[in-house]
Amino acid sequence: MKKILLATVAATMLGLLAPHGASAQTTIEPGKPVEMVLLPKFLGILPFDQAHKGAEEAAAELKNAKTLQYLGPTPENSVAGQIEIVTNATTQGVGAIMMSNNSGDQIVPAAKAAHAKGIKVVTWDSPIPSAEGEDVFVAQVDFSETGKVMADMALSIMGPDGGKFAILSASPDAANQNAWIAAMQTALKDPKYAKLEVVGIVYGNDQSEASYSQALALVDKYPGIKLIMAPTSVGIVAAAKAMQDEKLCDKIKVSGLGVPAEMLAYTKNGCAPQFALWSFVDLGYLSYYTAYGLATGAIKAEAGASFKAGRLGNYTITKDPTRKEGLRVLMGPFSKYDASNVEAAAK
Amino acid sequence: MRWLQRNIRPEQIRELSLLLLIVVAVLFFGSLIDGYYTSRTFNRIAASVAIITVVAVGQTLVVLTRSIDLSVGSIAGCTAYFAGSMAAAHHDLPPLAVVLIAVALGAVMGAINGVLVAWGRVPSIIVTLGSLAIYRGILIDYSGAKTVTTDSLPAWIVDLPRLTFVTIGNLDIRAMFALAVAIVVLFQIGTSFLNVGRQFYAMGSNPDAAHLIGLPTRRIVFSAFLLSGALSGLAGFMFLARFGNITVEAARGLELQVVAAVVVGGVNIFGGSGTVFGAMLGAIMIGTLEQSLFRLQISEFWRDAILGLLILLAVASDAVILDRLRALWARTDLKLVTRAEAEP
Repeated sequence: MKKILLATVAATMLGLLAPHGASAQTTIEPGKPVEMVLLPKFLGILPFDQAHKGAEEAAAELKNAKTLQYLGPTPENSVAGQIEIVTNATTQGVGAIMMSNNSGDQIVPAAKAAHAKGIKVVTWDSPIPSAEGEDVFVAQVDFSETGKVMADMALSIMGPDGGKFAILSASPDAANQNAWIAAMQTALKDPKYAKLEVVGIVYGNDQSEASYSQALALVDKYPGIKLIMAPTSVGIVAAAKAMQDEKLCDKIKVSGLGVPAEMLAYTKNGCAPQFALWSFVDLGYLSYYTAYGLATGAIKAEAGASFKAGRLGNYTITKDPTRKEGLRVLMGPFSKYDASNVEAAAK
Repeated sequence: MRWLQRNIRPEQIRELSLLLLIVVAVLFFGSLIDGYYTSRTFNRIAASVAIITVVAVGQTLVVLTRSIDLSVGSIAGCTAYFAGSMAAAHHDLPPLAVVLIAVALGAVMGAINGVLVAWGRVPSIIVTLGSLAIYRGILIDYSGAKTVTTDSLPAWIVDLPRLTFVTIGNLDIRAMFALAVAIVVLFQIGTSFLNVGRQFYAMGSNPDAAHLIGLPTRRIVFSAFLLSGALSGLAGFMFLARFGNITVEAARGLELQVVAAVVVGGVNIFGGSGTVFGAMLGAIMIGTLEQSLFRLQISEFWRDAILGLLILLAVASDAVILDRLRALWARTDLKLVTRAEAEP
């Protein structure tokens, strides 16, 4: 009791001292045992593995005696697998689930059940669109920022004369990609981008071969396009390979969100002159801090709550402006890559 | 009619009608899509058909013996990844060695299926459903979430999809498509004229009879799975060359396309009837549909649904139409025989 009182006093004082006077920074207390599950969209691709590394790093810093469970469905079973894993984790009564949602709102009943049992549901990378059953979404970057970054890259690659371009996305259910594409289309309304035109969106389902074929189909269907924008790490490399195979790199460039190690060759040979991404390691790290803080009661899932996430510094939970409902923690920033810095980042 | 019946078997009518259907499909899509009749469309379809065909040849052998191999996609994925990481780590490996590594690994995985089905007496659908998941699981574990990337591969693999075997007019026949056709020819001859090839049919038509006349039925089933695995391994290598970037997702869902190609191509799912050539026609039909539906930007759900519908139609038409044709042929044969006996 004394401790809580002290903490409250300290917090209030800190709050008074804080320059913006907005809210108190909660320091998350390490050493409490919390069962936690990290659930990627599916197992086996680099970005999620990096997020896992970041979460492990946070787990070590917070001295959580319980081992972090890294559970994910196989790629062909992503939607059903995610629902199953959330349901199982609920039955086991874990403390927190950190999920990159690939199931749209289909996950809601499972997430609600977990939530009802007192389990903290933190989404990262991709949120639950309706925010039902979700405590907080840890956003890698501001989704409208993603739209702007993609619009900027398109403009800089296609030049002031602009032109037509097409989008190669992941699955039609992916909440993050859908939000980014919508944000980009909003950004494109700015007169600055008046000469850029999106002619079509196709879905490669984060599968190399489907993405490859879809990229070629785009070229066949819209012979005039100058750029394929792929806001997915699988799609962007597949599209770049397809353009290289068809010797189209001079006419049609590829851009979007990609992992430097996988993009190195295409950025250097000019097929994909620019792309962007954020650190998935940091995203995993921040998600772990957030989920641990919520599960131990150090942070409340409400707008205005503030906390310190280890080496990344201070974060505040706010209302998510990119969704109707829901709260988010915004990580940021974007890293943009081109021939000048991709090699260093690929290491 | 009698001439027709004497010179053509019902199965061949089926293959001819499939050929006709392919032509109809091409005309249909040609009327919907601008610039469809180009060498580009041909290359797109040929490249995707090549991989499906190679796997479908192996699947045909398995289906002929009344089994099914659902693990082909996982085998191709594993071999693509493994051969890719081998080639990436040792750039000086001769091309043939990389291909052999892929084929050998595929053969081992197929052999495991074969042992379980032939000697373990587990139904093939269960065995290969299990190994579909197990092989993919091994791949996920082995890969450690790393992607085999194009730039890590030696140049000869990356350039392989563009390698042209012969040019006819303005159509390039690419090396990989030529390889697939060569395999079809090889296995068509093998299953038509060689003893070991005919054994697959004997085993599928009537396993008990095959056993009674002294055929090594278990070994036949085993070798069907072995060959299916080896050919899936080869397809894995082709997959590596075509797509360059191999994740754990590689060749996922290939089994649906391959089984579709085989049954649409007229190989009877209950064993004993159908040809390797028919399976290739099936693969061409599936490839044409797929690539054309891509061009029309039909959603993935519909593409899968159409594939499923084709499988159902193929099996149903097998049951209804082909059985009637066979009965008709059998009656005529009988008449011919009785007439021959009646004439002194």
